[in-house]
Amino acid sequence: MSGSQHEDSLAERRWLNALAKGDPNALGGLYELYGEKIFRYTFRMLGNRSDAEDATAETFLRVLRRSRELRADGAFRTWLFRIARNLCIDKMRQHKLLELPTDAHYTGTEERATLRVTVQQALNDLPIEYRDPLVLCDLEEVSAKEAAEILEISVPALKSRLYRGRRALRDRLGGSIEKLS
Amino acid sequence: MSDFYKKLVDLYAGNELTEELAGEMDQAAMRDPELARDMFTLRKTVETLQDLPKPDLTEESDYRILLKMQIQGAEVRRRSPESSHWQYHLSINS
Repeated sequence: MSGSQHEDSLAERRWLNALAKGDPNALGGLYELYGEKIFRYTFRMLGNRSDAEDATAETFLRVLRRSRELRADGAFRTWLFRIARNLCIDKMRQHKLLELPTDAHYTGTEERATLRVTVQQALNDLPIEYRDPLVLCDLEEVSAKEAAEILEISVPALKSRLYRGRRALRDRLGGSIEKLS
Repeated sequence: MSDFYKKLVDLYAGNELTEELAGEMDQAAMRDPELARDMFTLRKTVETLQDLPKPDLTEESDYRILLKMQIQGAEVRRRSPESSHWQYHLSINS
């Protein structure tokens, strides 16, 4: 565990204990720790800022509602991602979203910027069972073990979905990826 | 031998192989265009994916998220966690 992760873990434990005791600062503290990560994850999953804001707010509201049940046993972060994921799936079902983020900024050479837009679109078009591991492992750099726990599957199953997802993404990108040198 | 390496392409693409084995695969790819194409395109796909820009939690988004929570009745205060370990009492009479 890195120094920063260790500090996060200590802060998480403190805030969860504070939350259980009704400390009004606790939710803000947990949001400080994980708000940005959850926002990024929900944005990647939903593809637009407004829905990501909704999902992030609702994720932390659920923390508050379940405050008496939460334990500082190291599984909180996994639980948080799992809640966020379920909210994303609900939103996808409601809206059949997945259009390109309207406020995404892609910079760099024109060719690379175009490719990034193509990759984002192809990612959004993937079935959820492939998009999930790609977003968690390749974009948010969550470990395979934690990603498997979030998705409630085994590590080999996670790896299998990750590898198949990468191949599915490559197939959707077609010639665009081969043009890169 | 190429069949053996073909089974390792997913690990190669994700940089999960040892340097030695990845080097062996690079050598094998020189003799097998199909393997080379599979290795190159899959690794490029992973690299391009990992190179996507991170969504930015802007001040406006941050504000709207907190507002949504407050509208739902949550009290959200922003403050650093207190810990006796993090507090140092310095004398002002030195």
